[in-house]
Amino acid sequence: MTALLEIEGITKTFGGVTAVSQCSMSIREGTVVGLIGPNGAGKSSVIDLVSGFERPNEGSIRFDGREIVGKRPDQISRMGLIRTFQTPREWRDLSVIDNVRVGRSDLERDSLWRAVTTGRKLRRLEDRETDELRDLMTHYRLDTVRNQRAVGLSGGQKRLLEFARIAAARPRLTILDEPMGGVNPVLGERIGEAIRELKRNGSTVVVVEHNLPFIERTCDEVVVMDLGTVIAQGPFAELRDNKRVVDAYLGNDDE
Amino acid sequence: MLQYWTAILSEAAIFAILAMGIDMIWGWAGDFDLSAYAYFALGVYMTIVLTIGKAHSPVTYVFGWHLYYPLAVALSVVVVVAFAAVIGAIALRSLREVYFSITTLGAVWAIYYWVENFTPLFNGYNGVYGLFDPLGSGLSYNTYHYLFFAACLIILLGVYLLVSRISTSPFGRMVRAVRDDESAASVYGRNVFWAKYRTYLFGAGLAGFSGSLFAAYIGAFNPLDWKPTEIFVLYAAILVGGRGNPKGVILGSFIVYVGFVELTRYIPSPASRPELGPALRQILIGLLIILMLKFRPTGLIPERLGGDGTEGRRSWRTLFTKSPQRDAEPDVVIGALPASGVEAS
Amino acid sequence: MSIFWISIGMGIAVAAILALSSVAFTLEYAVSRVVNLAHGEVLTIGAYAAYVGEMTFHLNLYVCALVATIFGAVTGMALNFFLIERFRGQKALSTLIATLGASLILQNILLIAFGGASVSYSFNQGNLLHVGPFLWTTLTIRVIISAVVVAVLIYVFLQRTKIGKALRAVAQNRELAQVSGIPARSVVMRTWATAGAVSGFAGFLYGETIGTITPSIGNGFLLLSITAAVGGGLGRPYPTLGGALLLGLVMSIAGTYWSSSYQLVVAFGFLVLMLLIKPNGLFVRGKAQTVRA
Repeated sequence: MTALLEIEGITKTFGGVTAVSQCSMSIREGTVVGLIGPNGAGKSSVIDLVSGFERPNEGSIRFDGREIVGKRPDQISRMGLIRTFQTPREWRDLSVIDNVRVGRSDLERDSLWRAVTTGRKLRRLEDRETDELRDLMTHYRLDTVRNQRAVGLSGGQKRLLEFARIAAARPRLTILDEPMGGVNPVLGERIGEAIRELKRNGSTVVVVEHNLPFIERTCDEVVVMDLGTVIAQGPFAELRDNKRVVDAYLGNDDE
Repeated sequence: MLQYWTAILSEAAIFAILAMGIDMIWGWAGDFDLSAYAYFALGVYMTIVLTIGKAHSPVTYVFGWHLYYPLAVALSVVVVVAFAAVIGAIALRSLREVYFSITTLGAVWAIYYWVENFTPLFNGYNGVYGLFDPLGSGLSYNTYHYLFFAACLIILLGVYLLVSRISTSPFGRMVRAVRDDESAASVYGRNVFWAKYRTYLFGAGLAGFSGSLFAAYIGAFNPLDWKPTEIFVLYAAILVGGRGNPKGVILGSFIVYVGFVELTRYIPSPASRPELGPALRQILIGLLIILMLKFRPTGLIPERLGGDGTEGRRSWRTLFTKSPQRDAEPDVVIGALPASGVEAS
Repeated sequence: MSIFWISIGMGIAVAAILALSSVAFTLEYAVSRVVNLAHGEVLTIGAYAAYVGEMTFHLNLYVCALVATIFGAVTGMALNFFLIERFRGQKALSTLIATLGASLILQNILLIAFGGASVSYSFNQGNLLHVGPFLWTTLTIRVIISAVVVAVLIYVFLQRTKIGKALRAVAQNRELAQVSGIPARSVVMRTWATAGAVSGFAGFLYGETIGTITPSIGNGFLLLSITAAVGGGLGRPYPTLGGALLLGLVMSIAGTYWSSSYQLVVAFGFLVLMLLIKPNGLFVRGKAQTVRA
């Protein structure tokens, strides 16, 4: 299998504080990779760098073999990469189903010119999709709220909406930033299932998460970060006894 | 009486078009643009100077052409959009929310004072005048105005159909997604600036177009009678009707504009105090803006919520129910989901 | 004696008044996160209050200044009580639009009360004086001195008094200040009173030196205050002060070599330039961020 995402020696400093330093990792296509590490290890910064929200001071990031450093978030997204944020980010005044529709739609369909010239044809196209989207809503337990404003959803429902939106967008790589944050155990199971479904539908997944049992159940491989760089990468079972990993998590007094 | 009503309703129809343009920028894209007046005024000025012919001293203005009216309208709209392209490129590139509004407020006053003082452009504070019956119909004054009113209604209907088609299209939905959360929109492949910019240019174009129509109606325009504050009535109209809903915006424009003109008729306006009527009107507009924002920010007909076809019609029913506090920041409820999943709701 | 220095001298007087107005504007933003579009009207109310004091009640200069200050303070408190506090918790943009409404209301009440014609005070302008390279009247000098005194008072208020410290805490984080035992609501109210008082006084100074008063002078003042505050650093008093002085000088130089009717155009150019180059403000250190509310 080839690497879908290749990060090589990226460094990022914020006003003198080094958040990421000489960090390299590679994510193979078709895997679910857990990105773990103590608070402040630089996990979220790596996500921001990969998705184009921040620009690294040095280093290279290749997605599907193409360099993406310097591209805007929307350009990177159009290559097939979707990320989430630590808090769910719904479009609050759109209906739940419209949130998913935006995920499903693309630049070509969004064209202002097409809206003016072929509005009716577009409407028919979208109506045909509605049945499919309704099934998707049911699948993510959003069927009862699908026509409501997204702002009214509960925290858990917003998480599920995020997964429904990603499923509709069919990305090649999904990066989830703490998808279990503030989620109860029952819903946690559903989210684990949603991640496996993403994989079945052909998306590679990177999950940042503090819940290690969840990572063990869900991920094929784990990348461990500390102090802005990768300290270990491999299957979860192998890392359990890795001294550096244990030190990073429990605090290391030797240094 | 009939003449009176055709006049008022013609103006209301023209302002409804302007309001739809402003609402695209403010309601759909969330950018509270205070330079909309400049686009409207530029549309009026351009249409007049492109149709009335050469300037005679001491009056001075640019162009002074004698174009066929529809051609002048088209050219005016092009000029307005080009102008909005410059302002929009500055204001929308990295400035948002209050910073965007501040910039457009600065722009509108700067342009206003410039036009007022720089006579070679549009004859300074005396303004330009002399446009009547631009199509050369040769009809009597009354017949002309009746026909003009009919034309305004037809154009308003056409613009409404166009705008509401865009509003319910994937483009309209995408622009609102960008309004609600820019980062999330860019995560889903949307170029935030480009989405806002296109909406801005389209809205400005509509404002310029309504200015062109207004030029044919009023025939003269000057900075003293038409201050930027004059069109704040349309912000009130949009708030009353329903931000983001073209139907609501038209309803609001007619209610507020006709309502205010009617109201002013009953306010005594003695010759010694000519400012009394307009001043009271502006006070009421200010009050209306504040009260609507406070108590019913979604307006009479709230923004359409795109459903899956099974939600039923709701727009008129919501007229009589309490509106959701759209602009209030929600409490973040994390993990509020009941253990059984979402069935509980 | 060159034209240049005369105009710089005038620019200093303008900048002094502008500085007071912009610092008041920035204080309002600091505690309430509100871009107050009705700010110009507070100055106008101060200016008219002093006018009525002089014309109708024949009060002397100092009492008139006091009257303007009091009216400004009351207007500031009323704005906060009836408007800003009611819109707390809503988006900054909603509050901005609400203050636009308030500006319309206040400006037109003034129009009804005083008419649209311009009025002016009849205080003695004093003698012409050469001070260094500048040509000032004794009145101009008094205006500059009083502006400096007020600026120093604001500094003392912010840095040395308990309420000033509370104000800075509230500006940083209102909720945090509240739970730390600072009575945030009353601090905000007192800040608006202070800002209103300073604005009212600035309005009086404007009427005293520069010119005639009409109900719409607030429009220009608002634009200039916004420009100075954003140019220097919105919500930060000292950077705003710097922005105001710079803007006053830029405008007076532009006015000398170009035409004074284009001063607002120049100010807008200055504002756009600042927003494009350094959106966080010219006199604020640190990395420029995208300006989002």
